[in-house]
Amino acid sequence: MSDNTSKSRFSLFDYRAKADQQNILVSYKGPFSGLILKDIGEYIAENLESNQQASKKLFKIFIELAQNISYYSAEKNRIGTKITKHRVGSVVIGELDTHYFMTTGNLVSNRSIEILSEKCDFINSLQREDLRKYKREQRNLDTSEFGGANIGLITVALTSNNPLEVMVSEVDESHSFFSLTVYINK
Amino acid sequence: MEDILITGTKDTYFTPSVNFNVESGVCELGGESYLEETVKFYDPLIKWVKDFGIIEKRALVFDFKLIYFNTSSSRCILSLLKELKSYKNRGGDVTVTWYHDPEDEDMMEEVEDFMEDANIEIDLVELED
Repeated sequence: MSDNTSKSRFSLFDYRAKADQQNILVSYKGPFSGLILKDIGEYIAENLESNQQASKKLFKIFIELAQNISYYSAEKNRIGTKITKHRVGSVVIGELDTHYFMTTGNLVSNRSIEILSEKCDFINSLQREDLRKYKREQRNLDTSEFGGANIGLITVALTSNNPLEVMVSEVDESHSFFSLTVYINK
Repeated sequence: MEDILITGTKDTYFTPSVNFNVESGVCELGGESYLEETVKFYDPLIKWVKDFGIIEKRALVFDFKLIYFNTSSSRCILSLLKELKSYKNRGGDVTVTWYHDPEDEDMMEEVEDFMEDANIEIDLVELED
């Protein structure tokens, strides 16, 4: 009873202060279940009503990125020894003077990380018209059950109309943390 | 053949509203499309269009009033448009209209891409409030 503080070094206050400093509107880490996605999605749609086009874009981007996490994240939620069915990821939504931004992150196996980064680089290298053409090619090709993360990323890039920002941090020999930031003009 | 009537809902997922009428040949697909099992939802709609072209062989008026759809839905919408195109190719009288918000440029691009991909004419009409 005497020394609860030593059990966790995590300070929610520090975390909040940092988030506030960076104009974070929403910050979430945990299981990406349908219900949670729905709530965060609704929050975006309802609270940015003054800027309808940006809010629609944010919502659209959020759904694609969140679905990628819920299908492909290499991490499943664990409470004690129990592994739940939902995959884990993080999302942060913030506001800058001229942009909104959304960063999503999740664990990816090192086998896939290179392919994923290359995909993003390739998407960034294309002009809008070529990207639209590439989307159509991929849509005609890919018939995987979940529609594939690829066309989702292309849609995200088209919707944001800004380059995708990728950050990869190696966690251990088998996994890396993949984080993707998308900007939406106000 | 039977009509398809589905009320659109915004629950955990978004189900679009569907009203396919056999007698009039007027079909409407509207609302928002973001589903847990996208293919399972769209397959019967695509089959309906196919059957209509084989069994009914009458004019088909197809009105899209979708204001949002995710990527997996877009793939199924494309298949639906390809089915409409295939009826048209066999001599079917098919009119496709997409009602859209004029401020939503992304949606207009999506419709253009659908036209190109399915090789079908789609009339763009501004959605009234």
